Amino acid sequence: MTGPLVPFREIVLKVHSRCDLACDHCYIYEHADQSWRTRPKAISDDAMSWTALRLAEHAKTHDLPSVSVILHGGEPLLAGPARLRRVCEELTRALAGVAALDLRIHTNGLQLGPRYLDLFAEYGVKVGISLDGDRAANDRHRRFADGRSSHPLVLKAVELLRQDRYRALDLGLLCTIDIANDPVTVYDALSALEPPRIDFLLPHATWDDPPPRPEGATTAYADWLLAVFDRWDADGRPMPVRLFESVFSTLHGGPSLTESLGLVPTDLIVVETDGTLEQVDSLKSAYEGAAATGFDVFSHTLDEVAAHPGVRARQLGVAGLGETCRRCPVVRSCGGGLYTHRYRSTPDTGTRPDRSDHSGRSGKSDRSDADARAEGTGGHTGGFDNPSVYCADLEALIRGIESRTAAASVPPVLTDPGELVAAQQELTRSLLAELHVELGGRGGAEWQQAWELASAVEERSDGLDAVLTHPYTRSWLVDRVAALRAERPGAVDGALALSAYVAAAVVRGGLDLPVRVRGTGGVLHLPTLGTLRIPRPDGTGASTAHGTGAAGAAEEFGTVGPFGEGGAFEAEVRPVEEGFLVRTATAELRIGRPAEATEHWRPVHRLGLPGGPVLALDDLDPYRDCFGVPVHPGLRPAETAAWAGRLTAAWELLHPALPERAEAAAGALSTVTPLLAAAPLTAHQPVATTGAHGLGALGLPFAAGVAELALALLRGLRRARLRALTEVTDLYAYDGEWLRPAPWQEAPVPLSELLAGAYERVGLAVYGGPTAMARGIRLDQARRALDTLEDAPELTVGGKSLLAALRKETERG
Amino acid sequence: MTTHTSVAFATAKKNRVPLAEIDVRDSGVAKKLNRVLPVPTGRVARVSSFNSAL
Repeated sequence: MTGPLVPFREIVLKVHSRCDLACDHCYIYEHADQSWRTRPKAISDDAMSWTALRLAEHAKTHDLPSVSVILHGGEPLLAGPARLRRVCEELTRALAGVAALDLRIHTNGLQLGPRYLDLFAEYGVKVGISLDGDRAANDRHRRFADGRSSHPLVLKAVELLRQDRYRALDLGLLCTIDIANDPVTVYDALSALEPPRIDFLLPHATWDDPPPRPEGATTAYADWLLAVFDRWDADGRPMPVRLFESVFSTLHGGPSLTESLGLVPTDLIVVETDGTLEQVDSLKSAYEGAAATGFDVFSHTLDEVAAHPGVRARQLGVAGLGETCRRCPVVRSCGGGLYTHRYRSTPDTGTRPDRSDHSGRSGKSDRSDADARAEGTGGHTGGFDNPSVYCADLEALIRGIESRTAAASVPPVLTDPGELVAAQQELTRSLLAELHVELGGRGGAEWQQAWELASAVEERSDGLDAVLTHPYTRSWLVDRVAALRAERPGAVDGALALSAYVAAAVVRGGLDLPVRVRGTGGVLHLPTLGTLRIPRPDGTGASTAHGTGAAGAAEEFGTVGPFGEGGAFEAEVRPVEEGFLVRTATAELRIGRPAEATEHWRPVHRLGLPGGPVLALDDLDPYRDCFGVPVHPGLRPAETAAWAGRLTAAWELLHPALPERAEAAAGALSTVTPLLAAAPLTAHQPVATTGAHGLGALGLPFAAGVAELALALLRGLRRARLRALTEVTDLYAYDGEWLRPAPWQEAPVPLSELLAGAYERVGLAVYGGPTAMARGIRLDQARRALDTLEDAPELTVGGKSLLAALRKETERG
Repeated sequence: MTTHTSVAFATAKKNRVPLAEIDVRDSGVAKKLNRVLPVPTGRVARVSSFNSAL
């Protein structure tokens, strides 16, 4: 079993092992494992102290920001207020200054009165209560040993918890499903109590002891839950329902929110009243001793338990599942269901050989899975390497929720180009805020002044927005945050270039504000505007001549390295009329018309495409080198003019073929940077390896002819949109967990590459391409890739929507 | 020199949180940032997921 150890962040502390109810569906007392009979009734002081010590030690070792401790039983309130106070004291003392302590208790509510709630208020212990619905539903199982109803007492506890003085402690209600109860009546009864949260639990069952299914209904539990879902939805979703919220989260690419669903590695351990450490205690439903680890808090660290094969088996994500589950389109949402529900004591005969037990063999490393795939088998095995006994229900539930909500929950960035632009801008603003936090005061007065000015400029004009929209501003921000996090030399100095961005914003906003800026190497770059070369006191340092050779312009004018490199100098920038004034210790320069070049000033050249956007031809920005191939060091005026001509001709070739949506995408294009070579052929460019730029930048080969440029422009637009989408929404999750064949190459690829390849090929086939034959090949490849992607578990609601849009696009081909 | 922005952009600008008030610790903002920044290791808080409690 491989992979890093997953630290525990959640401890279930059994403070009492007996209960004052006799629910006939309880996994502690009524299922296979009967170890409760030999446990001390209440947790001992020693077990309590050692648990607190072990937890603090574990949190410190793994630098955990917070840990949750859930006081559980039996019925935890039977431990009594004095013992519970000691538990709270010990844990609070041990975790102080180490990690935030999230204390919770889960109770049947019978004993819950002010003496407990006052104690919980003192220590911030949040309270969850079990209630199975209306009185008839609740009393089906949750009764005293003599058969009396528990319902009135539970309602009293809920009512008390809802009082203002305790409301902040209320976690909500936990309801175990019995499909003999009416789902709507159960939901209505729970909802009427206005809990802050509800969760519904499938009753514990295994393949040995399957759940009751009247008349063999294969999805009776899903049908029950979907009836609740519809009622809850029609009711305006008055409170979160954990099960449903978890499905929403995973459908959109997020983590699961409960161990009963999803692929998030388990980080949970149970401490029994005698100090023994056990795996998740629902395993008690499987067989006697199923949860045992052989460890205890007195002699073992939590790291030792974390390495236990049974624990590790539930931390492997997709790899920890059997073949049937790994091939399932909803596996990311269901995760194979609760581990316990997969148990079967003996294998099905005649299907597959006996497989792993819960000692944790990895499915991924087990080559017999491949054999099973080839044979088309997938029968049940002894142990836990099976689908859930609720498999059909889980699939129906997930698909049911998806079909009810997907159309309305497609991220708007996928359907509205304006939303994509706005989301990208918000991302860049958030990065600037993150840079401020990462600096943590290290930027001193210089940063603080620029930061405060940025906020003021943002309030008073659109100038800062224009500068933050510039795609290479994103490159600078990502680079600086990464540099600070990695504690790279010069990280802080580079961040101080914010003043140059603010100065550009002030000039663009026409605000009468002087800005102190920092230049480097005799050159001041104002992003989106241009580069100023400061003359030396002896009069040198200015140039208007342009030589020959690829790097001629840059050599003559001076290039701007990434901010923070080269000798720094100070200047003041102040807007005047249509331009601006720059003062340094040695010079004063007035740039009256920022769009026009002068002896000292090289503006960013702009090109209006006929019927299209106005582009910045940016060969100046110090952070433009983010395309995976070398950028042109700087064009001479004649080269700029020639390139502009070729770009215009390429656009005119392409423009008539572009549909409205593609034109809108082109509308977001703002900046083109000349490259010394064509961009790499692979469409998949991980942000981490190519640097990051914001929406609107394309790198295009400077030397390309018109036809080649048109193709590169089209390819670039496709790549840029897909990349921009992945930066602001989740199109897929668990990328790389599965590899699939790509029609254009031999080696299988992860989903992101297959999607990117299909996306690009659809564009090239439908809207352009050198020949009809080439277009036909690309279209065929794209369609085959889309077929492969159908039902891929990685795809989110957004990813599926994109796939559907791509299919529609191929119909134009 | 003044800058003009689109109508969609102007609408988005009206409804947004001021720059100085963006809370990068907020889970929504952190999720946004994690898509383009290397995810910081270690100190990531998780929600409680124990099935038999809330």
